[in-house]
Amino acid sequence: MLLTLLVLLFIASIIAGLLGSLTGLGGGVVLTPILVLFLGVPIPYAVGASLISTIATSASSGSRYLKSGLANMRIAIALELATTSGAITGSFLEYVVEKEHLFNLLDIIFGIVLIFSVIPNFMRMKSEVPVYVNPDGISSKLKFNGKYFDEALKKEIEYHGVRYPFGLLGMYIAGLVSGLLGIGSGALKVLAMDLGMNLPFKISTATSSFMIGVTAATSSGVYWALGIVNPIIVGVTIPGVFLGSNLGSRYLNKLMSRRLRQLFTLVLVILGIQLILRGFGIFG
Amino acid sequence: MDLNDVIGYALRIGVIISVILIIIGLAFLSGNRDFSELVSPTSRVNTSVINPTKVPISAFSGNGLDLILLGLMVLIATPVIRVLIGIIQFAKERNILYTIITIIVFFNLMLAIFILPLFIH
Repeated sequence: MLLTLLVLLFIASIIAGLLGSLTGLGGGVVLTPILVLFLGVPIPYAVGASLISTIATSASSGSRYLKSGLANMRIAIALELATTSGAITGSFLEYVVEKEHLFNLLDIIFGIVLIFSVIPNFMRMKSEVPVYVNPDGISSKLKFNGKYFDEALKKEIEYHGVRYPFGLLGMYIAGLVSGLLGIGSGALKVLAMDLGMNLPFKISTATSSFMIGVTAATSSGVYWALGIVNPIIVGVTIPGVFLGSNLGSRYLNKLMSRRLRQLFTLVLVILGIQLILRGFGIFG
Repeated sequence: MDLNDVIGYALRIGVIISVILIIIGLAFLSGNRDFSELVSPTSRVNTSVINPTKVPISAFSGNGLDLILLGLMVLIATPVIRVLIGIIQFAKERNILYTIITIIVFFNLMLAIFILPLFIH
């Protein structure tokens, strides 16, 4: 029984790491429901485990994405300005929300927002690389440019991120939601870069994977103090997500962007449904 | 070595050290009679009952639980060190704009990890 639990936990974390590194979502989306529904872990411990393991996904896939040129260091750090500020605000707000018992309402609202956010994804489903837009003032000053060799298309792609203020706003909300709801918020990061900043989808997901560890580390202090980190559960998941994300980050560049976008859309819908269910108190 | 290489290695080394500490910790714990109690999903052993300053010392004396916790601390420190290396590198390149941005990110991280938890009881 004990061994079965540990083995299942380990397998679930490999899958979480794999999907987390490919979609830029971190992996909590996969890990939380498996932990809660199949392994009987209470929601707070599941949330704690997925938050901490996101750091492992981010660190192991992030180093590979930097090397392959898929994660853009300058864009990441310029946007982390907003995610960390958002995460701090979110942690503070958590108190107010906890007092007023608004968590369920927030879960439901955010779940609905996520499900609707797949619509622009459908419109761009077939696009492999975005149409180049001339850099605007701030983004050229911040040098949001780069190029990478797309192994699926077999050609070099040059890109330039635009609309930095839009990106900042999206990232601030992503950090806020992460601190408030305890979800990795990679979904909003990818959307802000993909829709707002006109970056290629692979650059968006890889840069989100790279960034997400810093956001998770920001929230981890509060989570640690709240006591929702169970060392054994987290301990078993971390080697698993490490293996999974190593595997996932090896294949990102080989896949077509539209395939990644389909995967991302699917996981987003699952996350949305999951949050709505949590909001109605159905699961857990 | 350029910025990306240094940061890539730092992330990789950090996460590998963390995984090794956690695996050793789990191996030590598995021989423990209370292991099944600790593994239980509803176990009451969590980070709110742990004094972080005592973890490193008792980890090195071979306490399995503290080895795992030390692994988690190394993991949380990894992105922080990544940001710190970023500050140094941008400063070396005399890229003032990015040095300032990275310092603010670092400040936010420190505030969130060390100051915010003090307000939680």
